[in-house]
Amino acid sequence: MRTLRLGPVVGVAAIALVAVAVPVLPLSNPTAMDIMHRLAPPSAAHWLGQDGYGRDVLSRLLWGARSSLGVAVAAAGLACVIGTGLGLIGGYLGRGAEFLTMRSMDIVLCFPPLVLALLVITLLGPGTATLIPLLALVYLPGFVRVAYAGVLSVRNQNYVEAMRVLGAGRARIMLRTILPNIGGPILVQFSLAIAAAILLESGLSFLGLGVVPPAPSWGGMIAAARATMAQAPLLLLWPCLALSGTVLLFNALCDAVRDAVDPQRVPRRRGAARVLDALAPGLVAAGGPVLDLCGLTIEIDTPAGTVCPVRDVSLQVHSGEILAVVGESGSGKSLSGLALMGLLPPAARVAAGAAWIEGQEVLRLDEAALRRIRGRRVAMIFQDPHHSLDPVHRIGAQVAEAIRAHRPVSARAARSQAVELLRQVGISDPERRAAAFPHELSGGMLQRVMIAIGIANGPRLLIADEVTTALDVTIQAQVIALLADLRRARGMGLLLITHNLALVSEVADRIAVMYAGEIVEQGSAAALLARPLHPYTQALLRSAPGEDGSLPEAIQGTVPSPQARPAGCAFAPRCTYRRPDCETAPPPLVDAGGEHLTRCIRWYEVAASVRSAETVA
Amino acid sequence: MVWVLKRVGVAVLLVAIVVSIVCLAIRLVPGDPATLLLSQGGVAPDPAAVAQLRHQLGLDQPLLVQYLASLRGILHGDLGQSLQDGSSVAGQILQRLPRTLELIGVAAVLALATGLPSGLAAGLRPGGLFDRAAGLAAALGQAVPVFVVGTGLVLIFAQTLRWLPAGGYVSFAEDPVRNMELVAMPAVTIAFGLFSVVFRMTRASVLDIARRDFVRAARAKGLARRHLLLRHVLRNALVPVVTVVALNLGTLLGGTVLVEYVFNYPGLSGMLVQAVDARDYPEVQGIVLVISVLFVSLNLAVELIYAALDPRVRRA
Repeated sequence: MRTLRLGPVVGVAAIALVAVAVPVLPLSNPTAMDIMHRLAPPSAAHWLGQDGYGRDVLSRLLWGARSSLGVAVAAAGLACVIGTGLGLIGGYLGRGAEFLTMRSMDIVLCFPPLVLALLVITLLGPGTATLIPLLALVYLPGFVRVAYAGVLSVRNQNYVEAMRVLGAGRARIMLRTILPNIGGPILVQFSLAIAAAILLESGLSFLGLGVVPPAPSWGGMIAAARATMAQAPLLLLWPCLALSGTVLLFNALCDAVRDAVDPQRVPRRRGAARVLDALAPGLVAAGGPVLDLCGLTIEIDTPAGTVCPVRDVSLQVHSGEILAVVGESGSGKSLSGLALMGLLPPAARVAAGAAWIEGQEVLRLDEAALRRIRGRRVAMIFQDPHHSLDPVHRIGAQVAEAIRAHRPVSARAARSQAVELLRQVGISDPERRAAAFPHELSGGMLQRVMIAIGIANGPRLLIADEVTTALDVTIQAQVIALLADLRRARGMGLLLITHNLALVSEVADRIAVMYAGEIVEQGSAAALLARPLHPYTQALLRSAPGEDGSLPEAIQGTVPSPQARPAGCAFAPRCTYRRPDCETAPPPLVDAGGEHLTRCIRWYEVAASVRSAETVA
Repeated sequence: MVWVLKRVGVAVLLVAIVVSIVCLAIRLVPGDPATLLLSQGGVAPDPAAVAQLRHQLGLDQPLLVQYLASLRGILHGDLGQSLQDGSSVAGQILQRLPRTLELIGVAAVLALATGLPSGLAAGLRPGGLFDRAAGLAAALGQAVPVFVVGTGLVLIFAQTLRWLPAGGYVSFAEDPVRNMELVAMPAVTIAFGLFSVVFRMTRASVLDIARRDFVRAARAKGLARRHLLLRHVLRNALVPVVTVVALNLGTLLGGTVLVEYVFNYPGLSGMLVQAVDARDYPEVQGIVLVISVLFVSLNLAVELIYAALDPRVRRA
């Protein structure tokens, strides 16, 4: 549980304290009339004046707090205890109990709360004795549902299973393991119920059907003050303020509790200005590669300070070429791809670097200019196709929409082009599939749809970010093969981001290996696979199952988090070639010949070890 | 299709249970309900009157006979006679229900017209100035009871400024301008509370949707911002908003009680309060029945609309 905001807690505590302490405070009798001084203005004896019967307003206000809160807390408490109990029983004791509790709550929910209250009051008459069980009944379903949902989510978790295996009884399991786990939501529901009960109680009292006059209650005071509203509008103000203020505080407490128990709460984002300098003239690369990325550095603001998940990354992709960017998760490869599209998450920003796509610099573009580039010159396909398509629109419409975003074609023409695109990416029966919703297609099929969207406007560069990770192994190779074919047919550059070196080794022209936000090795696929010059690449190759059936070797340790980067080589802590001088300064990226780059000061020995291993074999 | 039939079946079953509960509730009261209904301020009622009421309510007959008689009446659209003037309860309800529906309809339009755009704007820039201002308004709308808002409006616009009449009702057919004047304040009062619901739900929903992968993928297509917001973000965010608004409208069927009372508006729930005050059980029973049945039907409609908005639900 995180820290609770103090404001609402203190406010609610203060009101509760007043309500408890009212009997011992030196107040006038709240029901003592003084007709001679009816509607008297505030005086030393009566700080807030006197009402239509000459009764002390302050005293009635504070006693009103006691009755309102008393009824609300009692009702919410009753509902909480019974409702949580029923929910636990319904969730834990199997089908029959579940059906009974949940269905009976559905019946309670068939009546709007105020209507249910009025029906009961007609039969039983007004008064506190009716009010508390009545309000408890009204708010019962909320607790039952929260407790029931909580049990369902906790029921099958490992530790509950473990307790059952250890032979713990059902009652014990419910009380000791499940109850503490659903405590947060129940607490939220409790404060919600109190606020709602105060509102309902005051409404009924306002109608004269809740707390019975002359007993003081805020709703009753407002109703009485309405009669004299022309002469003494202030009489209306005090109970209105007290009532609204109290409910406001309880609602705020509710939000505070919810925030405190919500494990997924994200800290408020900070507005970050783009810090990138303008480009110096004369740097524009013309004619050359489809993508020329120079010195990309990305920063992210975290509560612990600014971190650099991507530093000084330079890449080139030529038309018709496949560059595979390989690395473990957290190596910064996906962020680099997103930066090229101008789609970095809000907390991240480009701190340095430049990227030319067909000669146009894209890291410094504003949103409008980026929009014209996205999907037209450079397109991106994402990891999880199930979540990358809008669930409420048909497949064909989502492809057509990509076409119409950049080309002035009619809706009808876009639709027929969309069907043609679906055919090109190997979707059988594309007319029928175009009319389907995303949830009706398989993952592999959806990823083909995403590829169709990607190539819809003939981009020069296609970024494919872990496009096979969410797919079956058998589908993975098909999707990669499709991408490779499309690249060849359309002459576009393909930036293939993946953690799976084996998968891309057959299709990639060049490979860049990333580790902890940096490129550690880059070269032609043939050279890099045959003669890896960085210990990390070597380890990656060994971690894939060999073709000869040899067992994969896991890489020891984990990628250092951006907060805890080593002073020297980032891979040093996991490296078998490590020497003391590896840990003193970050190694530079050096050219080992033939445009084969490596960020290892001992690359020569690494290469030698490969050769000697081959000799031995 | 099976799914729709199943939902309709459940709704019919719920209606049957609700009708039974309302018909039998009077039997659950401890003591003699007829005596209770006729008791005024602790004075014992006239035994002859009690006997007559017992006969009129069917309390002198066996439970099953009374229950079946009530059911037969309901199926024929007969909800019994008012204890106050002997008039037909069903007739009175039919006269008053449209007025309450008009009030709720106008309030819903006002709340959606303000809540949706402000929720979208706030959700797109959480923590911004607009978000905080609108959030404060929504917090007030949630906390300040309707009868306080209504009384405040009467004090300002009717008593002090004298721009609008304090209360009453004239049908639209009779005098459209007067009708609007009279509906304005109660509708705004209800809309204020409903605005909070629409705003909060839209904001939370937009915040959630804007984070989804498919929005990023849609941005990657290079869609225009307007298109992205309307077709993808708002369209998806609408699903929970529509659900919550519709459920709240159902609650409003009974929740207009306080507003109708404050503005002296002769709608259905005003009639309910009056009936409760007069302990006119047949009237209370009839109104509760109509409201609850409408409520259940509305919930059913919500589920069907939900399925229409979200294609994934249809399969389940």
